[in-house]
Amino acid sequence: MPMPRSLLSSSKESNEYMKLRQKALAGLAVPKNTDSPEKIAEFQKQLAGKIRDLRPQARQGDLFTPEVVGLFQRLVAMAMRGKDGALIRTSFQRAEPVESGHLEVNTAYPDGLPLQSMPPSLLLNLPRLPKELEYRFVGRELILRDTQANLIVDVIPDLRMPQRK
Amino acid sequence: MTRRILAIVAAVIVGCGVVALRPPSQLASIFAAPQAVPAAPTPVQVKLPLEDKSVRFAVIGDNGTGDTPQYEVAAQMEAFHKVIGFDFVTMMGDNIYGSHKPQDIERKFESPYKPLLDAGVKFYACLGNHDDTNETLYKNFNMNGQHYYSFKKGDVQFFVLDSNYMDAKQLDWIQNQLSGSTAKWKIAYFHHPLYSDGRFHGPDLDLRKQLMPIFEKYGMNVVMSGHDHVYERFKPEEGIYFFLVGNSGELRYHNLRQGSNIMAAGFDTDRTFMLVEISGDKLYFQTVSRTGQTVDSGVLQRQPKPPAPVQALQQVH
Repeated sequence: MPMPRSLLSSSKESNEYMKLRQKALAGLAVPKNTDSPEKIAEFQKQLAGKIRDLRPQARQGDLFTPEVVGLFQRLVAMAMRGKDGALIRTSFQRAEPVESGHLEVNTAYPDGLPLQSMPPSLLLNLPRLPKELEYRFVGRELILRDTQANLIVDVIPDLRMPQRK
Repeated sequence: MTRRILAIVAAVIVGCGVVALRPPSQLASIFAAPQAVPAAPTPVQVKLPLEDKSVRFAVIGDNGTGDTPQYEVAAQMEAFHKVIGFDFVTMMGDNIYGSHKPQDIERKFESPYKPLLDAGVKFYACLGNHDDTNETLYKNFNMNGQHYYSFKKGDVQFFVLDSNYMDAKQLDWIQNQLSGSTAKWKIAYFHHPLYSDGRFHGPDLDLRKQLMPIFEKYGMNVVMSGHDHVYERFKPEEGIYFFLVGNSGELRYHNLRQGSNIMAAGFDTDRTFMLVEISGDKLYFQTVSRTGQTVDSGVLQRQPKPPAPVQALQQVH
């Protein structure tokens, strides 16, 4: 098995996204500690717009390549069938599972839709990410979300949660 | 550890008020009747000692609905603030429900708490599952762009965590912060509860598995959370005091499990907020309903420090 903790964060595709994101941020002032919700909303909108402009052809699988998807399926299956599987499953249920239609790459995470918390024991099994990105489950989909831009960067459409055997 | 537990048991027996000492089954019946908002404001009844140089704060959770009950709780907070003069408010997450447009921030936060904000009261937020992560950039939440952070007030250090996303980096951060803390009181708060008798959600056992060993090792004194839309205080778990304040805007009526053996007090028939005063080795608390009734109050004794880790002893010698 490849180095799971670094596969996504050090991959060519991931690095390219982070470079592109840096480019999108250039010229944008991050509104740290502002008492203006308007400024935060405007920053989010502008950053998302610039990222979209810089990757207009973005599609599902750009970062979650088939190799990465295969790895994630194995990692999730291992976590769910391991000693913490029951805890992870319960944590999902108690955190208020989020359901939505299919989320498209390069679209905004829907305003008002809660963010499903990630069970720590599962998160600890997944490759680490740069702080600007996070994993989230929406139904059976695992999305990669740009937190400041509130943008769907990539999606694994059907990451199955195996039952404990 | 045994000495620590005995001290806590003694403190609970000596310190807590009548309400707190009743078994959970009786509590449920006491608070079973729905409460109507009184026509005239209830006079503020303070059960805190208001000692000199104490640390005073309010606790709210799951508050950001923008609906009338949130405003009514906020009005009670304002009334108590005039008497108690608490300096800050800790927020257990779900600060803004639903849409996060600028007008939502105004309706669900700035407007209900305007009198407190105008009086210079600071709000320290954590992120709940209904929050937008960009709330970290909002000055009035005092998060300084961070998903998890720490701040100090007098003898108290607060550790504000992001329980939505407890990754390895955050776990490392907590350990580093706690190992370097010399604060007399250590209080952690975050959205998802490690203990809860709420029937709708219940405790996050996976989170508990990751955090409890760290909290025990470094002598966490108090842990506060929200998520379940009720109020609950727990018997000490592993020597740590736990509170759940998840009904400062939302409410799940009659949602507390009956016959719990971990509950010290509970309230699930109206909204609440909590007031805390820390002075020396004592933590006084008073939980107030939307209508101004005190539904729980008492005093807790600071726990003895946990034994020094073996590694630290080896370094000394």
